[in-house]
Parts: sequence; structure tokens; C-alpha cells
Amino acid sequence: MLIDHTHRKWFIGSVAGLAVATALYIPYGLQSSQGPRGGSALGLVYGIVGFGFMLFAGLLGLRKKFPVWRVGRAQTWMRGHLWLGFVSFPLILLHGGFHFGGLLTRVLMWLFVLVFASGVLGAGLQHFMPRLQTAQLPLETIYEQIDRVRGQLGEEARNLVEEACAALDGEVSSASARQRATAAAAGANWDVTVAAGLDADEQASNELRRFLSVEVQPYLARTGARGTRMGDAALAQAMFRQLRVLFPPTLHSCIDDLENICEEKRQLDDQNRLHKILHGWLLVHIPLSYALLILGTWHAVAAVRF
Amino acid sequence: MLRRTRTTKKLARRIDLQYFSRPHPFRRWRFWLSVAVPTLALGWLLTQRAQGGQRVYSSGQLSRSHAVFTQQCGLCHVTRAGTFFKEVTDQACLTCHDGPVHHSSQTFFPNCSWCHVEHKGVQRLSATSDAGCIQCHSHLRTRDGQPRYAGSINGFDRSHPEFSPLGKGKIDPGQIKLNHYLHLQPNLVGPANQRVQMTCDDCHRAVNDASVWPYGAPDQNATVERASIRPIGLGAYMAPVQFAKHCAACHSLQFDRRFGNEQVPHDRPGVIHALLAKRFAEYVAAHPAAVHEVEPPNRQLPEREHIQRVARDRAEWVQFRVEDAEWVLWAKTCKQCHVLNFGTGALPEIAKSNITPRWLFHAEFDHYAHRMMSCVACHTRTLESHDTADILLPGIAVCQQCHRKEGSSKEVAEGRCFECHQYHDWSRAKRTNGRFSIHELRGTAQLTLPQEQTPISH
Repeated sequence: MLIDHTHRKWFIGSVAGLAVATALYIPYGLQSSQGPRGGSALGLVYGIVGFGFMLFAGLLGLRKKFPVWRVGRAQTWMRGHLWLGFVSFPLILLHGGFHFGGLLTRVLMWLFVLVFASGVLGAGLQHFMPRLQTAQLPLETIYEQIDRVRGQLGEEARNLVEEACAALDGEVSSASARQRATAAAAGANWDVTVAAGLDADEQASNELRRFLSVEVQPYLARTGARGTRMGDAALAQAMFRQLRVLFPPTLHSCIDDLENICEEKRQLDDQNRLHKILHGWLLVHIPLSYALLILGTWHAVAAVRF
Repeated sequence: MLRRTRTTKKLARRIDLQYFSRPHPFRRWRFWLSVAVPTLALGWLLTQRAQGGQRVYSSGQLSRSHAVFTQQCGLCHVTRAGTFFKEVTDQACLTCHDGPVHHSSQTFFPNCSWCHVEHKGVQRLSATSDAGCIQCHSHLRTRDGQPRYAGSINGFDRSHPEFSPLGKGKIDPGQIKLNHYLHLQPNLVGPANQRVQMTCDDCHRAVNDASVWPYGAPDQNATVERASIRPIGLGAYMAPVQFAKHCAACHSLQFDRRFGNEQVPHDRPGVIHALLAKRFAEYVAAHPAAVHEVEPPNRQLPEREHIQRVARDRAEWVQFRVEDAEWVLWAKTCKQCHVLNFGTGALPEIAKSNITPRWLFHAEFDHYAHRMMSCVACHTRTLESHDTADILLPGIAVCQQCHRKEGSSKEVAEGRCFECHQYHDWSRAKRTNGRFSIHELRGTAQLTLPQEQTPISH
């Protein structure tokens, strides 16, 4: 979520609330005979408010599960999650007098530290990375569809080469029909790619097929680029440049398309990597948050009881 | 020339529109982790409960003295019928140890846990915050409305009054004429006419210090082995000075040249008189010619006319010699240190020494804790004191050089009230009868509490 001027009210409210809480804490901490304690009146207030904010932040998951519920805009919930969740951490620190306490409370506090840290990291990532992705990955697709699109790219490359080679071998017409069908499914414009007029010889055809099977298809077949030369943009560019020198000009458009397919695959790999960074923190943040809420509820009951 | 183009329509054809209905591995991981981690957390709590351990609920480590009860919360946290809460009541504390009232006229009676805060880690529970004391002593009120002590104290370094013995016009009530200045001069004549330099601990040591006294009577040190340097028990205060232990080696009580170094006992005049009569009678019995010997003038008899008296018989001779010896003792030997009152009787009365064994009755002090300092570092006026009436107790300003409120640097000695003052009047303490078994205390057996208390259960 982009943290911009639309967050101003939330920001001011959070800072003001935190300032009031801190202002109350200083005389309380200095004058309290027993030192700041969670069980004191003010300590309980900090604890109740802090835990309330934590619960609200935790309800975001429920709100997302049921988007049709008429309980406020999703954007408002997200902002509340962000800012109230942020404020809850210092409030809980004030609640405990900056002590982690006994076993259960210590576990709780460390969980909270992890949840808070992962949340702050996530907020920062969500603020900066989407813009970075948009700028650097113009060929990105839906993350869950990357594998599917990658398969289509492989098929498109294979058909493209078959088309070119068939033309070389005098089978242009039959290749074009097959190519058109595949290209339409893959979303590429193939009408202008019919290899009419190709005059390359059989050697060029074999060489192109070999390039496809040795360099391009292994690269397109797997996620990532480990162990392939196509994964390195500079190296791939050099290889395609060399192909253009070796092959007759009539094959250059085919080589251009192959290079474009490899570039798209490269961007999909980048998208895959960035997506894991952008959302990977959720694998820590969400499970630990649920554990925190469960243990926190237990602590609240036990604390009131004792 | 690139022939591939990317239109929205073509891109849309690539996508499986039902993709969201099939969970992606990332979402699957997120789901299962969201189930597994909270389940683990809950399982951990339930395991703790099943094992009966109560440590998990502790809000912090217990103090050293209570740490052994960590698994048995019910010792302190008791519940009353019909309530959800499990409080720490005074009754629970008093089950194990008494906490006598502070003062009979106090108006505020805090709970035990108000001052003795538990679950704050390894610490002394007696190390209480000043706030508890200041709550009353900053504006002291008593039941009768007339506090006998300073009415506004906010801490040792803030508005704490000067120690009461050092109040204006107060003097040492002691009746032993001691000149500290003189005793600490170099080249004093000591035992066997040796030149000595006395130090403070030649006379002032802890109550139970059994080490050899350098200026005591020989018989005082004959059976004493050198004791451990660390005083035990009553080692905090200095033992009162005693003649036999601290003075006898230098201040001899000889009474007549005929008896060499024989001395009278350090006792009441009546006892001394009887001894003198007995010794001179024995002497004249053994030396009958002494009756007719002319006594040379005795220069040791101050303020007395040197009249030569000749005895007519043994009885009179004994009477003259006793009178002479007593004159030496009363007018010089004893008078050097004691105040003698000559009333109507034949013998003087010796004023009680009235040495103050402890100056600060409402505060505690430990000399051993201050052993790294020289005595005069605190007792600064000792080297110049000529008069018994001088009170050589250090003033509060001396203590405040080290003992003050902990600042940011923390380079101070403890300055809180408990360091010197006891809240509880332990003279009123009542016995408590322990009733727990080791297993009950350690949490390996169920507690048996009185009916009004119920052990906690989770």
C-alpha cells in the first residue's frame, strides 16, 4: 500500500495518541512506588488499548475473507491495520514497563517484535516495490499465471522456429496454419511472420533448431535462469547478435522474436523473485500474528485472574 | 524486426480465468503456516497446563527468596469464594512470615505487596522503593496528630534532617574523660614504657571481634585466639570501650611502692578499700618494723599536705597507708578518667561511665560495609577532639557524599530509605508456624490451604 498524503490523518492521530501515552507514562514511571507494571491502572489501560489495536489489526484478515461485508472500505481497514498495528507495539511496551516479564509474556513480546518488524518491513516493501516493478517489468503478468505463461512462451518459441525452418524446407504453407493457431493462443501477432521468401539453406535450419533446443527451450522450461546462458541478459544479447550475423536476413525477424520471448521470460523470473520479496514477509507476519493473538488472549485472561 | 505484439486482448487470452480457485503454492504455504504456528502456540500452552507447571503464567522472575516457589503460584495467589481474581493478600504473606506494624500511631497501613514488589527478577524484597516511605513521611501525620519525628522527608538527600545526636546543643553524655586528640598523638608511653602510636582500632572494634587487644590487660588476651576478620552477627556496631580490654596495659592501677606492680582491681571504691586494708594488714604482719619507719614525703599525692605521720601501732599504720593509697587513687589514678563524687560518706561515688553504645536508634549502620575507608574519613573531628562531650558521629553530609539518589551515572551508593531504616518493628514480631511440606512448596503436591483460601488451578 502506498503511504502518501492520504494517510495524513492516520499519521497525525497515531503520533498524537503515542505522544499522549508517552506523556502519561513519564510521571507514572517516575513516581510509581512499584515501578511501571502491567497490573497498575495505567498499565492496564495501555494493555487494553494496545491489545484492542492488535485485535483490530488482526481482523483485517477476516475483512479480506469477506469483501462484501458492509463494514467500511477495505482501504480504511488497511490504513487502520497499518497505523493502529504500528501504535500497538509501543503501547504494549508501555504496558509492560519495557520489561518482557515471565515466560509467557516473554514469548508474547518476542512474537510481537517479529510481527512488528515484519509488518514494518512489509509496509516499506509494499510502499516502494510495486512502483519499482511497474517501471522495471513492463512484461509482468499475474503471479499465479507465471508458470502457465512460461509454458506458452516455450510453445510459441518452438512454433516460431518450426515455422521458419519449415519455410526454409519448403513447407511454409503448412507451418503457417499451425503457427497461426499457436500464436493466437499465445497472444502474439503472427500474421506478419509468415516466412515467405525465406532463402536460407538447410544448414541454417538445423542451426536454428539446435539453438532452440540447446539454449532457448531449457531456459524457458524452468523457473529461474540458473545454469543457462539465456538468463544473463548481456550474454543472451551477444548470442542473438551473433545469430543475426550468421543467419540470412530473412531469419532476423524470427531471431528478434526469440530474443523478445527470452526477454519476457527474464522479466517473469524477475517478477517471480520480486514477488517473493514483496509477499514473503507475509509468511512470517500472518502466522505469527495469529499465534500472538491467541497467546495474547490467554495472557489477558490469566493477567486479570492473577 | 520484432513481429510479436502485446495487446490487452491477447494478454487476456493467456490467463486461465479460474486460476484463483486453484491455490498457488505461496498461498498454500501461507494457509498452512497460519494454521500450524497458532496450533503450535496453543499446543505449547496446553502442554504446560497438562504438565502442571505454573511458571508459564508468571509475569516475571521471582525474587531470590521466593524463587523456589515458582511452580506453586497458589502459595501467594489465593482466591476468595465468588471472585474470578486471584490476589496476593497479606494473609498469604503472613502465613509464612510475620510483618509487624511500623508504628503504633501510623495512619496508613499499606499491603505487603505495596512495598515488596514481586516478579521483578532476582532482587531483595526488602529493597523497597522510597515512594512507599515518602507517601507518609513527606507530610507525616499520626493518630494523635503530633509526630515526634521530622514531618517532611522526601529522601535521604532531600530534606532528611541531620542525625538527631548532632542536634544543636547536644553533647556526648559519657562520663569517661577521654581525649581523642591526646590518644592519637605519636610517641605515647605505652606498655613497658615502649613508645607507641595508637590507632582507632586499638580501642574500637566490632562487638564480636575476638582478636587481640594491644592495650588490654594480659589476662584479657591470654585465652583469645585471633578470630576471623569478618564479624558475624553483631559485627556492625563498635563494642563499648572497657578498661580491661582497652586501657589496662597503659593505665596501671598501682597503689603503693611496697607492692611493686600489684594493682587494685578496676572495681567499686568499697571493694578497693577492702582490698587495700587487707593487703596492708598482711604486709605489716609480715613486716612489724614497718610501723616505726618514717614515711618519706610522697610526691604522688597531689593537693595534699605532706605531713609526716608516725603510727602508734599496726592498726594505725594500716589506716595511714590505706588513706595514702586511696588518696593516690581517688585524686589521681581514678580521677584521670572517672568523675568522682565525694559526698558525706568516707568513700567517693564514681559516676556511671554512660558510654553510648549506639547513637542512631532508628537507623542501622554497618561498620564492616565501610571497612575500605579510614575511620577519620567519616569521623572527621576525631583528631581534633579534646573533650568527652564532643560527639564524633559523622554528620549526614558525610554520608550523602556517597549515599544519594541514583542518577544517570549510577555511580553512587544505595541511597534509598531501606538502606538504614527498618519499616517493621521486629520487636513486635510474632512467631509463625510453618505448615507446608517441601512438595507443596515446590509445586509437586497439591496445596492444602485453609477454607477461606482456595489454591489456584488452571
